[in-house]
Amino acid sequence: MIIEKEEILPGVYRIKFEVPAPYFIEAQPGRFIQLEVSHDPFPVTRRPFTISSVSESSVEIVFEAVGRGTGILAEADAGRSLRLLGPLGSGYRLDPGKWLLIGGGLGAAGFPGLAATVECDLLLLGASSQDKLLTIRETETVTITEDGSSGRKGLITDLLETVHWEAFSSIALCGPIPMMKAVIDMMPVAARAITQVSAEARMGCGWGACEGCSVPKAGGGFLKCCSDGPVFPADSIDWERWEGIH
Amino acid sequence: MDKPYKWTFWKREFTSPILLASGTAGFGLELMEQGFLTGAAAVISKATTLAPREGNPPPRIVETRFGLLNSIGLANPGVDEVLDTLLPQAACLPCPLIINVAGETVEDFPAVIERLEESPVPFGYEVNVSCPNVAAGGIAFGASPEIVERISTLVKSISSRPFSVKLTPNEGSIVESAKAAEEGGADAVTVCNTFLGMKVDWRTGKAPLKRNVGGYSSPALLPLTVARVFKTSEATSIPVLASGGVNRAEDILELLAAGAAMVQVGTWLLRRPDAARELRESMISLLEGSP
Repeated sequence: MIIEKEEILPGVYRIKFEVPAPYFIEAQPGRFIQLEVSHDPFPVTRRPFTISSVSESSVEIVFEAVGRGTGILAEADAGRSLRLLGPLGSGYRLDPGKWLLIGGGLGAAGFPGLAATVECDLLLLGASSQDKLLTIRETETVTITEDGSSGRKGLITDLLETVHWEAFSSIALCGPIPMMKAVIDMMPVAARAITQVSAEARMGCGWGACEGCSVPKAGGGFLKCCSDGPVFPADSIDWERWEGIH
Repeated sequence: MDKPYKWTFWKREFTSPILLASGTAGFGLELMEQGFLTGAAAVISKATTLAPREGNPPPRIVETRFGLLNSIGLANPGVDEVLDTLLPQAACLPCPLIINVAGETVEDFPAVIERLEESPVPFGYEVNVSCPNVAAGGIAFGASPEIVERISTLVKSISSRPFSVKLTPNEGSIVESAKAAEEGGADAVTVCNTFLGMKVDWRTGKAPLKRNVGGYSSPALLPLTVARVFKTSEATSIPVLASGGVNRAEDILELLAAGAAMVQVGTWLLRRPDAARELRESMISLLEGSP
């Protein structure tokens, strides 16, 4: 059941669901849920959402109303019950040491839970404008926007030139595929090796059966976003093929 | 209460008429772990081919207003891996497993089944002559009654187990293909595979699926399945396994009334992994006349 709903930015919503304890409290950051956004048979498939944060008896998502499924969900009010499946997939490998988080736009939706779990030393956030820039509380954040409405004016890659990569033992990266590819291309090899990427794909079942949500695998073949991921080591992805898809 | 409800299929009695359609349940292993096979008579596996297939480039799934287009392309690890890894694990499924078999040539079908005969696990086979998402084989086989009969005869000669031939609604006459399957020795026909569908972005003129067309499935297809089940069951004396458009208990009862022996649930399983239990329970309450 939806217990809280808030439009945190124009067209961007945070929804908190009540869930039976203790299913979600141990869901590591990066895992996801699937929601039946409508009681009608249409749209047919459930919609995947990265888990933003969890408590003993609740799970939170943050999403932008961009299409049919998210549009319907944006209209749902507190008190409404929806079928929710999860937690699904595998999340971030929670290695000790200092973390660098790099997010593009709504790609940062999964970062609140991660930032609260690991030792997050620095968060780099990029977006088209302030209207699309999420706030992650209690985290040292440097922002950049394409229109200069928050932080520097430019792209996330402009922030990377001054990053001391060797200061971090883990890096989390999430955003649109071209943005992630640009970040990966700028990274030193050693940084790439410690980077975990939170992927997304058009998804069917959500648990590994239908082979619908393929992500190109380094060295050939495909990974299943839903069950092999959605969080992958950056080096396990064939970035050229992945970028070519979109 | 529901003890009297039995469905007999391939000489075995089931307490449910629900089969989990190929491609939507894997090999049943993940569903078993969650206890979601309750209510399913049998699982029909993902298509298995002679050699591994990595499948079509993504995106492989595109949703339309009233349904789903898929272009998976028979992604599977190949029969060796199925025999070595998946079937031994599937030995502990709580229900029988039917292996869906696909091929690029007519000879591929008996070749895959000859290998599968090495395993004690399969309950039977579903011979897929109707995949809309591959360049070779697929629809072209299913549309020709001669090829359907030839494949059925070849499979019959090698298989110790019963098999169903999964037919296409897209080309040729499904009734003629069903009769040809029966003539060739098939023990059932699956009516039917997905409908050839396509989506185009009018702004760009481009199709989101890389192969342009894909297999269309939707609850809205139910009447098309009912008609084909009715016509094929009248024209043949082998069991007809209905497949297409089921998302309610009423749909299952309707297909059974139209002549189906068993009913498959596919796309709806993507939405509800526990669909078999849910649908069976509400079907039994409908049959008992309670709300």
